[in-house]
Amino acid sequence: MSETAHLQVRDLTYRYDPEAEAAIDGVSFSISRGEFVAVLGHNGSGKSTLAKLLNGLFLPSSGSVTVSGMATSDAGRTWDIRRTAGMVFQNPDNQLVATRVYDDVAFGLENIGVPSGEMPGRIDEALRLTGMLEHADRAPHLLSGGQKQRVAIAGILAMKPEALILDEATAMLDPQGRAEVLDTVLRLNRVQNITVVWITHFMEEAARAQRVLVMDHGRVVMDGGPKEIFSRVDLLRELRLDVPPMTRLAKLLRERGVDARLDVLNVEDMVEEVTRLCPSCLKN
Amino acid sequence: MPIVLEKLSHVYKSGPHTSHALRDVDLTINDGELLALIGHTGSGKSTLAQHLNGLLQPTSGHVLLDGQDINGKDSSRRALRFRVGLVFQYPEHQLFEETVYKDIAFGPKNMGLKEEEIDARVREAMAIVGLDFSEISKRSPFELSGGQMRRAALAGVLAMKPQVLVLDEPTAGLDPRARDFLLEDVRRLNRAGTTVVLISHAMDDVAKLATRVAVLEKGALVMDGSPLEVFSRHERLGAMGLDVPQGFRLARLLREKGFPVSDRCLLEDLAGELADLIKGGSGHAA
Repeated sequence: MSETAHLQVRDLTYRYDPEAEAAIDGVSFSISRGEFVAVLGHNGSGKSTLAKLLNGLFLPSSGSVTVSGMATSDAGRTWDIRRTAGMVFQNPDNQLVATRVYDDVAFGLENIGVPSGEMPGRIDEALRLTGMLEHADRAPHLLSGGQKQRVAIAGILAMKPEALILDEATAMLDPQGRAEVLDTVLRLNRVQNITVVWITHFMEEAARAQRVLVMDHGRVVMDGGPKEIFSRVDLLRELRLDVPPMTRLAKLLRERGVDARLDVLNVEDMVEEVTRLCPSCLKN
Repeated sequence: MPIVLEKLSHVYKSGPHTSHALRDVDLTINDGELLALIGHTGSGKSTLAQHLNGLLQPTSGHVLLDGQDINGKDSSRRALRFRVGLVFQYPEHQLFEETVYKDIAFGPKNMGLKEEEIDARVREAMAIVGLDFSEISKRSPFELSGGQMRRAALAGVLAMKPQVLVLDEPTAGLDPRARDFLLEDVRRLNRAGTTVVLISHAMDDVAKLATRVAVLEKGALVMDGSPLEVFSRHERLGAMGLDVPQGFRLARLLREKGFPVSDRCLLEDLAGELADLIKGGSGHAA
């Protein structure tokens, strides 16, 4: 195993039952410490199954998953693995248990037997990192969806994870909530060097990752930087996926005889591209 | 069958606390339009939607359907609910029958229709949303994919043949293909004459589909116009925490730099204009 591989997946296959088609079908890849990797794929492509294999909620039918050097199949390490690679799910209402934000973050720490003297410091730090410290005394059910997800993330952070796995954590949020959660996780990645696996349907979110994995039929079919991935507009469409709107615009320009680059991910890129294509188009 | 909201207000009370979910909303929803209702979370969109078929009653003001107050004494709210079909957020959470067929038949059965009519409506509704009758009608709704469950729930409302269809965030949580299927269903229904009220945060979808956009802020109607009119007020929308479609943001940034580009709702139209500009511009010496 290479020294830097933080999450290592080797020849991984997973079947929900022995007779069924493989939900994950011979997948290998490795993710380095501190990487931010987005995983794309249509419903049923195996994204969520992969997420649950990455922190040992599911165990491989064959092949292996290693987290910080620990194999998820090693039953003695299950709790270490779940603490090392924390998972955030889609529905913000199913993840919070306490009647106060602070207690919700404390809940996980009590479960893993953190000494009570150490708890307040860790809870405050986790709430500060997610921008939720000022809401510590509020009732979780009164928070917005984005705030609830940030509390769920704080609950994991308090356990000092090395990786975060987010399974469509923004799918049920409004645009503001989505931005709050993504910005929080991007910051944790940058500042705390936490490895992130970000599973999503939103192409604009994937465009902000360092690396994108595309899944189809339980296999990883594309793996590269977002510019490289999204410029393959036709292949993505075959895989029942979108591209970000500005990449689609670049494609439409090409169809109209303009030699636009396809690795345009956002509005700022497109302004630059139009300026490059036609410096003389500016009104005088 | 226009729906007219007159000075519609709704106040939620819980204990000593009251909150105005809607304040004096005046809005007419015309036959055949596809009205998008947008606003920040908590702006009152879903509360408004639930007034359209009498699920909620106004604290003050009126909801008129064909000129008749739906909450009036002589009005049959039951009959009205069948004319205005409401598809909630995550409607698949409300699937409950043991087969897809029974689930879709539930509404028409409640309407007291005959067995043959119910059967015809279930088949028709499934065809509209693209669910294969022979393959899917006898299956449990819980065996379906997320996108199929959503379409089955929509079919259950369509089987009541509503004249007005109200959809609250219909594409939330769907993958791109399932989303495109569903939006195509909505567009087809609208073209066939069904009035549609679409509540959505997805501004690119709104730009693509809507014939008119109404904006709620803190329970008040603050904008009402064509998508082009509403989205060109991007600064005001931004202050409310609302996005504009990326094509609008691009056009604005290009104009600020000095490119002569207009606001467009569809990326296809924007691409056409940009292509003409670039091809024309690069033909001349700068």
